[in-house]
Amino acid sequence: MASKVSLVLRPVKSIVVRFCPFEPNVESTRKFLQCLYHKKVQATNTNCEVTADVRHDGSEPVVDVMFADGDRLIMKGAHLTTGEMLSALESRCNAKDLKEEQKNKKNP
Amino acid sequence: MAALGGGGTRWRRAWLPSLQLLRRGSKAVTRHWKAMHFQRQKLMAVTEYLPPRPAVPPRCLPRPSTGAQQEDGQVRVLRRQVEETLRGSRIVAVCQYNSMPDEDVAMFRHYLRKHNIHVKFVLNEIVRPVLAQSKYRNLLPLFVCQNILLVSPETRAREMLRVLKGVPQVNLLGACIDDTILSRKGVENFAQLPSLEVSQGQTVAALSLLSSQTSSLLQRGPAHLTALLDEHIRRLRDTGGATEPPPGQSTGNL
Repeated sequence: MASKVSLVLRPVKSIVVRFCPFEPNVESTRKFLQCLYHKKVQATNTNCEVTADVRHDGSEPVVDVMFADGDRLIMKGAHLTTGEMLSALESRCNAKDLKEEQKNKKNP
Repeated sequence: MAALGGGGTRWRRAWLPSLQLLRRGSKAVTRHWKAMHFQRQKLMAVTEYLPPRPAVPPRCLPRPSTGAQQEDGQVRVLRRQVEETLRGSRIVAVCQYNSMPDEDVAMFRHYLRKHNIHVKFVLNEIVRPVLAQSKYRNLLPLFVCQNILLVSPETRAREMLRVLKGVPQVNLLGACIDDTILSRKGVENFAQLPSLEVSQGQTVAALSLLSSQTSSLLQRGPAHLTALLDEHIRRLRDTGGATEPPPGQSTGNL
């Protein structure tokens, strides 16, 4: 999965991954976190802070993404696969990147 | 006849087909792929090997059960290593390992080694059966995705947490310290506890405080009496010194 990742984290400000490791439904969230730390993904934006919040309160695994333009993406990983989470983030990042590029082209 | 003979030799010289072909074509052994003669092609096609087909195709037969799977020697060695590691350590911390550059991994291992904490990279399929049969079976849900074990014969949780704070790619999930399973918060609380020697000293001081108080309590009564008598004697001496009765009169009366 890591080799197919083409995630561009440029429009992302921070990502917080919250999970409780003793629960049985955290596998996809943990794999998602692993993919985020891949060197190609990290190289796209070194200012993006990826934080892992490990709890022990039986809460659901949650991925909280803050974008640079103020948008927020919350993904509840209990019933999502890693691929779905990655593709959701990828599509939003690409859309924002495209918008940014078009804005830059209009105002050079 | 002569004309025929003369014509025959001329015909034979120009038109011996095998000689003509040999002169014109390439040799038998060439450096390029040479097209097969048609007759040879036909012979090869006819004599091609056709493997015998079984009456029942193998995919229609029931799958042969593997039965007791032969355990790989390497798996056995790795399993034994994990068992030895778990047996000889007081603290076993499970962390999720996300990819790090090699030099960072080396520095991380170096800093932990200074505090006698060893880093072990483990594979889930080897560790899970080992844990299931040991006392650490409640740590089984942690072993999903890539993990590392931090093991140590001492319980230096404070130093371990300090090093882990500087490495964001390694996330502490849980630990088992002295046969007690702790979550991440539990490890942080454990790190803030005073050391065993300090807490033992505090307990001894608290217990001996009561017994020291007992002896002082028992001596309080007589001590108080002694103090009162001393004070009384002092006062008598003071008043006796001020108004001293004549010694003769007192003895005469008696």
